Amino acid sequence: MKRFSIFSLAANALSGHRKWAPTWRDASPRPGYDIIIVGGGGHGLATAYYLAKVHGITNVAVIEKGWIGGGNAGRNTTIIRSNYGLAGNGPFYEWSMKLWEGLEQELNYNAMVSQRGVLNLYHSDGQRDAYARRGNAMRMHGVDAELLDRDAVRRMAPFLDFEGARFPIQGGLLQRRGGTARHDAVVWGYARAASALGVDIIQNCEVTGFVTDNGGAITGVETSRGTIRAGKTGIAVAGNSSRVAAMAGLRLPIESHVLQAFVSEGLKPVIPGVITFGMGHFYISQSDKGGLVFGGDIDGYNSYAQRGNLPVVQDVCEGGMALMPMIGKARVLRSWGGIMDMTMDGSPIIDRSPVDGLWLNAGWCYGGFKATPASGWCFAHLLATETPHETATAYRLDRFATGDVIDEKGAGAQANLH
Amino acid sequence: MAEPFTITEHTNLALATIMARKGVDPAAIEAALADTQLIPTGPGTWLAVSYCDPPPYPGEGRGPVPTPDLDPGLRRDTLKDLASVSDQSGGYIVYRFSGPAARTLLQRGAFIDLHPSVFGPGSSAVTVIAHIGVILWQADDDTSFDVALFRSFAGSFRHWVEASANAHDRHPDESRDPWDPQV
Amino acid sequence: MRIPCPFCGNRDTQEFVYRGDASPTRPDTDEAMHDYVYLRDNVAGPMREHWYHAQGCRNWIVVTRDTRTHEIISAEFPR
Ligand SMILES: Cc1cc2nc3c(=O)[nH]c(=O)nc-3n(C[C@H](O)[C@H](O)[C@H](O)COP(=O)(O)OP(=O)(O)OC[C@H]3O[C@@H](n4cnc5c(N)ncnc54)[C@H](O)[C@@H]3O)c2cc1C
Ligand SMILES: [Zn+2]
Repeated sequence: MKRFSIFSLAANALSGHRKWAPTWRDASPRPGYDIIIVGGGGHGLATAYYLAKVHGITNVAVIEKGWIGGGNAGRNTTIIRSNYGLAGNGPFYEWSMKLWEGLEQELNYNAMVSQRGVLNLYHSDGQRDAYARRGNAMRMHGVDAELLDRDAVRRMAPFLDFEGARFPIQGGLLQRRGGTARHDAVVWGYARAASALGVDIIQNCEVTGFVTDNGGAITGVETSRGTIRAGKTGIAVAGNSSRVAAMAGLRLPIESHVLQAFVSEGLKPVIPGVITFGMGHFYISQSDKGGLVFGGDIDGYNSYAQRGNLPVVQDVCEGGMALMPMIGKARVLRSWGGIMDMTMDGSPIIDRSPVDGLWLNAGWCYGGFKATPASGWCFAHLLATETPHETATAYRLDRFATGDVIDEKGAGAQANLH
Repeated sequence: MAEPFTITEHTNLALATIMARKGVDPAAIEAALADTQLIPTGPGTWLAVSYCDPPPYPGEGRGPVPTPDLDPGLRRDTLKDLASVSDQSGGYIVYRFSGPAARTLLQRGAFIDLHPSVFGPGSSAVTVIAHIGVILWQADDDTSFDVALFRSFAGSFRHWVEASANAHDRHPDESRDPWDPQV
Repeated sequence: MRIPCPFCGNRDTQEFVYRGDASPTRPDTDEAMHDYVYLRDNVAGPMREHWYHAQGCRNWIVVTRDTRTHEIISAEFPR
């Protein structure tokens, strides 16, 4: 792997940028691997990278039905944060944040990690109390959190509608270390680093079934490019988790739902960080290119269509207009949708499955981008050592049966409410 | 808007919801209430509308503003075994929209098609305008519509009426009204 | 996506509340309760599901809809 540096940039500039080598090897399937990861999104590629880097397991393939990063990894709104309230989540997301903070040096790749702050607005005494409690929980886990009053929010974001709004802004919970990262650069960075350590990244290869031995254990995958044997198989297919698990006879506590996002034309810098308006189902940040990146709630019905419908477009635009009327002047450039693997408690699953040889990484809902580094780290740890990583012990598949659900919202077993 | 419309509040309507008892044929209820205006709101449910004057206002600080009393036809034993009746006269506010632009204005808020070819005299719908549930019906043969909504949403609804009526007047460069039937 | 409510006619989905898969039925035993409450077939294809016409006739409706395309195949009252 050629390292990127100021010198490689200068040398390539002199040759008109025509001599850059491909970023990773586009591999063809070999007959078998020690470990196969199904799904070439951020989570699958990060898992493969940490298997090779941390555990020295390099006979690994990542199998992707389309192109890497073509799923949610390339469709999300790029927010990273670790502002969780429950003990099962806090240490995991903070571990992810720590990995983000060192990611670009680790991968020698510019993932444009930008800790520009994540601000959750509150509009009532009750909401303030809930955020105060959440902020306290964060600080007890060693995570930075500040409760801002109205004046402090106004200094940060004077363009918000403070006068006469239906839900007047009272303040906000700020995590300064939160922010954004360039989503596809994260995919490409992990792919390049994993590929350099010997991992095969196989695109245009759809897993269509599992190979089992006489005892029913999974020993490989059937794919559109033939059968591939595997010592262990891990699935990290996000919105398609139920479909792939069903090939092994499993039913999961998951529903697939569509989430939409929007980007405006490029504008001069105006939004200081990430701002969320939970009361109005709206959140926004600004990309380094200048586009306003924003979104809201999931559409709310089961979907595999990777596109949403107009009611949510309207709802998101109404939320934006309510929060910052100046957004009405901006033009929307594009909108799109991705398929979320919504669990029944809104938290993910990183666990062995009831089927021998099959391991699960699923249930990331609409918040799995920020988890990419730690998800890869913890799934690799689980696959390599067969014990959960210390920050991911709560993400068990059987927690729904035992009652140990991790329900940040307290919404209960209704996937579209999380 | 190029053409005018007027909005007035009905003050002389007695309203009730009628729900068929289990197993009762809706036609039997419609027959029993042949003299009352019934707006269908669901299978076996209606909003009954009748005109009568409310009792006199008792005066400031002497109890609530009175609403008209229930249609005597509904209070009598006519419906005893057929349907449940609940008085809604105070629960709903009913607005009358009339004038050449009334249909255009309502179309700006409702997702249903209000074109005269599909929504004409006698047509009614339970739907939503600006997130507020409404029961709306054409009240005459021409351009008058009644819109019933929960009374506590009246302020928000009026806000929508004003914003929608002025929607295309705010930007001089976009003053052409794409909804205006004249264009 | 517009749902052809059997009473109200074709309506925007904004008027409806979504409940989900219509197939699970409440079991008698405690053991089966976990599956009923938490596990889903999460069908990719035509699925029978419950929608409530909250901003219309206020009836529950069973809609058959293809989750891959959002095509609505049928809508009927449950009984
Ligand atoms: C609009 C939107 C906004 C979001 N915003 C945020 C945000 O701001 N912050 C945040 O933290 N999270 C956000 N998310 C969530 C986040 O994107 C996901 O949780 C996360 O990307 C999921 O992990 P992944 O990257 O591995 O998934 P994916 O990129 O979806 O990877 C899964 C891969 O599996 C492949 N696959 C599926 N089936 C098969 C098969 N049978 N064989 C082979 N391959 C298969 C797919 O093609 C896909 O490439 C958002 C999501 C969306 C859609
Ligand atoms: Zn209906």
